Amino acid sequence: MIDLSIKKILDIDLEKQEAEAKSFTDLNSYFGGTGLGLRLLEMYSDKNPIIISVGPLNGFFPFTSKASIVLIDEGAVEDIYLGGSLSTRIKFAGLDSIVIHGVAKEKTVIEIQNSAAFLREESTDVWSLGLPGKRTIMEFDGKKVISDQYFTTPENYLEKKFIEKNIKGISITGTEIYSPKNFDDYENLYEEILSRKNELGVEPGGYPSCSGCPMGCGKSKIGEIGGNILLNSLVACQYADKIYTDIGTVFSCLNSLGYGYTHEDIENLPALVEKTIRKI
Amino acid sequence: MPKILKPSQPERCIGCEMCVFEAQRQLKKVGMEESLIRVFRKKSEGKNVEFELEIDPRINILDVEKISSICPRSVFEILTEQDPEDEKDIKPEK
Repeated sequence: MIDLSIKKILDIDLEKQEAEAKSFTDLNSYFGGTGLGLRLLEMYSDKNPIIISVGPLNGFFPFTSKASIVLIDEGAVEDIYLGGSLSTRIKFAGLDSIVIHGVAKEKTVIEIQNSAAFLREESTDVWSLGLPGKRTIMEFDGKKVISDQYFTTPENYLEKKFIEKNIKGISITGTEIYSPKNFDDYENLYEEILSRKNELGVEPGGYPSCSGCPMGCGKSKIGEIGGNILLNSLVACQYADKIYTDIGTVFSCLNSLGYGYTHEDIENLPALVEKTIRKI
Repeated sequence: MPKILKPSQPERCIGCEMCVFEAQRQLKKVGMEESLIRVFRKKSEGKNVEFELEIDPRINILDVEKISSICPRSVFEILTEQDPEDEKDIKPEK
């Protein structure tokens, strides 16, 4: 069962070939996504990490289907966003962030199953790992890191890190579930937000869609870069900004799931994240 | 009359998994585990991304109309099982 009262981080050390799930109660004020990712970047700043994070609404509400990736490229902090099924799989793995650090001696395939990770040799077919229908496959084809055979990120920050760290691919499977206490309230809010799809900045299309988003818009193929701190910490789609920059809506969503955040916590997030960036 | 969910146009699927989550919500849970619908991404060498749907027959105890209507691509149709005394066929619902 997914535990919303903590932040659960999967720490993968490629150098030592070890992985460990760690739980934190003191990171909740960073919400998730880029807020949490930047705080972890501060904690792991000497380890040149790739930090992949989801937000508190991923997997639960529509139009919150991106995963945040935070890293340092040539001395600059970069935040990029990847669509597809990655965010729901990380959420249903019961994780908030995956921190990959160190350099593998040989090309490595990473297999994540809920809060456990296994490092496989280069010859492993990444498609042989994980549970179909509950997994995301990320593959590096030498040019781009491609998730779900379709989704990528802007620029080449992630690709440079895959090369530096000798990562060939990642399989992530999530089999955890969650049942909000006030399920009817949650479901009503879900349906209300889904009915607001005409407020999105994209038109519906027939392209492969992110998990939990009915739009099939085509713009999510290349992901996103930078943007609004609240949206990026929830890891909502930038085209859903009219919905998820509204503090009342965000509070209602969080409250319906059983998070203990207050309006003030949401309002204070941008300042907290900016302070963290200054420290990095 | 019992209603049956059928993916009559699976080639239109865009992999959004809205149907998966709707079926799970009807069972009062969020997640992929023990879902009565599964969407598989097929490994393909070409550029087209293809999806495959697997439906557990137990899905038909749920509100299949709601599951069908949440699909943005009209992948599903609802069939109505006729009384065997009247007719043995399954007919599309009008």
